[in-house]
Amino acid sequence: MQNKRRPTKTIIYLLLILLAIISSVPFYMMIINATRDTKDIITGFTFVPGSSLIDNYNTMMGYVNIWNGFKNSLIVAVSVTVLSGYFSALTAFGFAVYNFKGKNQLFLFMLLMMMVPGQLGLIGFYELNKTLGLLDTFIPLIVPTIASPFVVFFVRQYLATTLHSSLLEAARMDGASEMKIFHTIAFPIMMPAVATMSIFTFIGSWNNYILPLVILFSPEKYTLPVLMGFLKGSQVAQNLGSMYLGIAISVVPIMIAFLFFSKYIITSIGAGSVKG
Amino acid sequence: MKKLDYKGYYFIAPFFAIFLTFNLYPVLLTFYYTFTHYEGYGEPQFLGLDNYVRILTDSYFLEAFINTWQIWGLNFALQLGIALFLAALFSDLRINIKGLGFFRAIFYLPNLITISSVAILFNIMLDWHYGSVNQFLLKLGIISEPINWLNQPFTAQASVALILTWMWFGYTFIVLMAGVAGISKEYYEAALIDGANRWQTFIYITLPLLKPIMLYIMITSLIGGLQLFDLPMLLTDGLGSPDGSLNTMVLYLYNQAFRYGNYGYAATIAYMLFLITVIFSGITFKSMYREAKVTKKRGNK
Amino acid sequence: MKKVLSMFLLILLVGVIAGCSDDSSTSDNGNNTDNNTNTEENNEEKDYSGEVLKVWSFTDELEDPITTFEERNGSTVELTIVPIADYPTKLRPALESGVGAPDVFTGEIAFLKEWTDRGYWENLSADPYNVDEWEDDYVPYVFDLGKDSEGNVRALSWQTTPGGIFYRRSIAEEVLGTDDPAEVGEMMSSWDKMFETGDKLKEAGYRLFPDEGAIRWFSKSEDPQPWVNEDNELVMTEAKLNYFDHAKTLREKDYTAFAPEWSPSWFAAMDGPVAYNGGWDEVDSEASKDNQTEVFSYALPTWGLHSVLKPNVEETNGDWAVTSGPAPYFWGGTWVGIYSGSENKDLAWEFVKMMTHDEEFLTDWALETGDVLSYLPVTDEIKGDFSEPFLDGQNNYEFFLEESKKIEPGIVTKYDQQIDTLLGSKVIDYVDGKVTKEEALEEFYKAVKNAYPEIKTP
Repeated sequence: MQNKRRPTKTIIYLLLILLAIISSVPFYMMIINATRDTKDIITGFTFVPGSSLIDNYNTMMGYVNIWNGFKNSLIVAVSVTVLSGYFSALTAFGFAVYNFKGKNQLFLFMLLMMMVPGQLGLIGFYELNKTLGLLDTFIPLIVPTIASPFVVFFVRQYLATTLHSSLLEAARMDGASEMKIFHTIAFPIMMPAVATMSIFTFIGSWNNYILPLVILFSPEKYTLPVLMGFLKGSQVAQNLGSMYLGIAISVVPIMIAFLFFSKYIITSIGAGSVKG
Repeated sequence: MKKLDYKGYYFIAPFFAIFLTFNLYPVLLTFYYTFTHYEGYGEPQFLGLDNYVRILTDSYFLEAFINTWQIWGLNFALQLGIALFLAALFSDLRINIKGLGFFRAIFYLPNLITISSVAILFNIMLDWHYGSVNQFLLKLGIISEPINWLNQPFTAQASVALILTWMWFGYTFIVLMAGVAGISKEYYEAALIDGANRWQTFIYITLPLLKPIMLYIMITSLIGGLQLFDLPMLLTDGLGSPDGSLNTMVLYLYNQAFRYGNYGYAATIAYMLFLITVIFSGITFKSMYREAKVTKKRGNK
Repeated sequence: MKKVLSMFLLILLVGVIAGCSDDSSTSDNGNNTDNNTNTEENNEEKDYSGEVLKVWSFTDELEDPITTFEERNGSTVELTIVPIADYPTKLRPALESGVGAPDVFTGEIAFLKEWTDRGYWENLSADPYNVDEWEDDYVPYVFDLGKDSEGNVRALSWQTTPGGIFYRRSIAEEVLGTDDPAEVGEMMSSWDKMFETGDKLKEAGYRLFPDEGAIRWFSKSEDPQPWVNEDNELVMTEAKLNYFDHAKTLREKDYTAFAPEWSPSWFAAMDGPVAYNGGWDEVDSEASKDNQTEVFSYALPTWGLHSVLKPNVEETNGDWAVTSGPAPYFWGGTWVGIYSGSENKDLAWEFVKMMTHDEEFLTDWALETGDVLSYLPVTDEIKGDFSEPFLDGQNNYEFFLEESKKIEPGIVTKYDQQIDTLLGSKVIDYVDGKVTKEEALEEFYKAVKNAYPEIKTP
């Protein structure tokens, strides 16, 4: 048995490493290219970094203040992640635990609305925000994500396997209010699901392009993807190294954040299974 | 049947307040456009049901419908297969694979890059003469002459499906693992004691308990897959070349609206797509639900 | 089924309520905006210092003019650049609703004809602009393109963008016995002569064009007629039908290098030999010499010299010249106008005037950038002084000015961009041997009909 298992394990690891390489090659290329100049990039790809990182950085900063965009993106993405995580947990809890009139219809309604293709809603959304006086603010980018059907759907599905009504009953016996039960008992149980979805929400918001492009007018409010678009339309587009550097600056930090966050999920998963 | 509890409304109220404020108006406006001829500016002209009559006889839409299913089907099968395989590996107590956090993060990397960067990247890699994909396959001797990937309907569709798999298998894997994490370790330990093999553990413990998460994956992937458009748009000429094989439903919608200015018709396509999504989601729900019943019965035995 | 039905009813019901409240608030808001406009107009002064002008464009070429403009009158200009692909997406909601819209915005030829008729741009034929008086000062087709369907000028352009054929002098010398633009132009002046030249080049191991699409401009302008006439009929000229055959000839006789426009090989072929039909080998390895070829010429317009050839060429710098093809054509161009809802029209007009009608500024601009201007009083003054080192000293300025005057005004329709694209893709299908010419034509008509149901196809 022992002899048989060793090679299997090696093969599995080799397979995983191969998959990991396939997944990370474009990333590596991007980071390497951020340190090379245009001529080198055109001639082909190498695995060795170039020496033009500082030049590329200066060229790029001559056009846009990428750190300001970084700050804006961070404000938006963090707010979105927190709001959508909290309110989705709240909504999913409401759907999973209570039995009320029209519950199934409302859930179905929510599911139906996420099936409508969104491409054409842009003009209506713009007009709505014009009416509400919210154009050129972060609010249209942040507040609507309180209603994130996909996240609610996921957390509810997760609760279906993990939440036991006995836990809630016990808490109610102790005289805890419903909100308190949600915050102290249900939310920790939902945490792995919320955290998982938070990654996607954060990245979705971080990469969101068309909405901020249309909603924001003031350059000092531009988010990173809009600034990258700005770069694409300018002379910098000729300087491929600077373009790659811009993309790298917008991606690498979230990659690092993600790695940390990923660790956190594992800990919360551990906590979850102890309770379950 | 539990007794009715109005407190649930408090919990879902914020969601629906925001939802109705921001989402409903655009959605209904779009619905109104389906009955009009509207070019995206000025006043829409009322047409009645003309757009609906047109879409039922539109061969381009039918083509788009078939293409979307072909691309999504291939992608989904591969993506779910890989993700399930990985989930089975990592949930197996016996082999006890280390580094879940690391691999999970790495597998998710392709999803971090914006779709336009992905398209640029693969455009270069799939180039007939200069692309690294052909260079690589030629060097290995797998093919004897370069393949013009994006010029043949089959290879073009397969390319898109594979790129999508590459982008999304990590996501599906993460979601599956979140579900696996919700399964109590006791089940696995019990299975181990009972002498269940790897396959049995996966089929009889992991899969049934993952059912709600699987349903989530099925439904969201279906919705996302049927709305596939940016990759086909960016990889070739944006019209669905070669031979219309990359003309997906939302690409068609997009072109009708933003290329040709037929907003009303584009809105009709959106609602047809909505209907199609509803129907297929319904079928998925129904079949998953029936299976769930069957498993439960088996469990009782 | 019942559930779904009741859901729809609910949606509709809520929608009606939401719709009503939206309407009322919209009108409130509208009133407020009007009030603001009035007060601001009253406060307006002739001195522009401290005023802010918002300009939107899709490139950064306006950056230098803006600096000049700011220095001249003390105003501040906010330039917003949106990549061309997203430009209409960004503009449309802002222009339609009037909120957050710019005072001045540019338009590329692809959207120009659509936008002139929408009232987004101020009517410049009316008081106080009266630009009709300037008509004789501009290259005719450029001035004409800025007009709406009633003949009112909505936008002006400072540049003209006629095209030519850029070719390699050394190859011309070797194969054709001359590198003189006039003589080479003569060898390209008709389809037959062009194919004859292609044949000679092929014998010597060169390729006439990088791809078949290179000839589309000549086919389009050989018999200049609008794509769609007043009766909404698609006009399929003999020349356009011949485009299919000419493209097929290029492919079958091997006059092209399989390097599609904007692809890596297309750029690579500008600067030396490229691998032909098997580019996976190292480009400079001796073994693959047989598989290599060099491209003789590219059909490119004025801007092609500065933004396509120059940045991608190193080895062949100075080895180029430009001449005319079988027919004169133009490709691209940027127009500029005032947003009709702008609250800052005086300053906006100052800016448009400087960009298109200011001799001092335009002279500096042309000498600095080499941009071929459409404003004749300036070009007449300076056109003799140009000598382009990249083209071995040739005066491309004079050449392009002559070409631009040959271009027929009044044939561009709002459909052009899309119909050209559709035609191009069907021609390539035919050239690739996927369909017969009849099938390709039929598919083309069907696609046009699908895109624009109002157009009558043959």
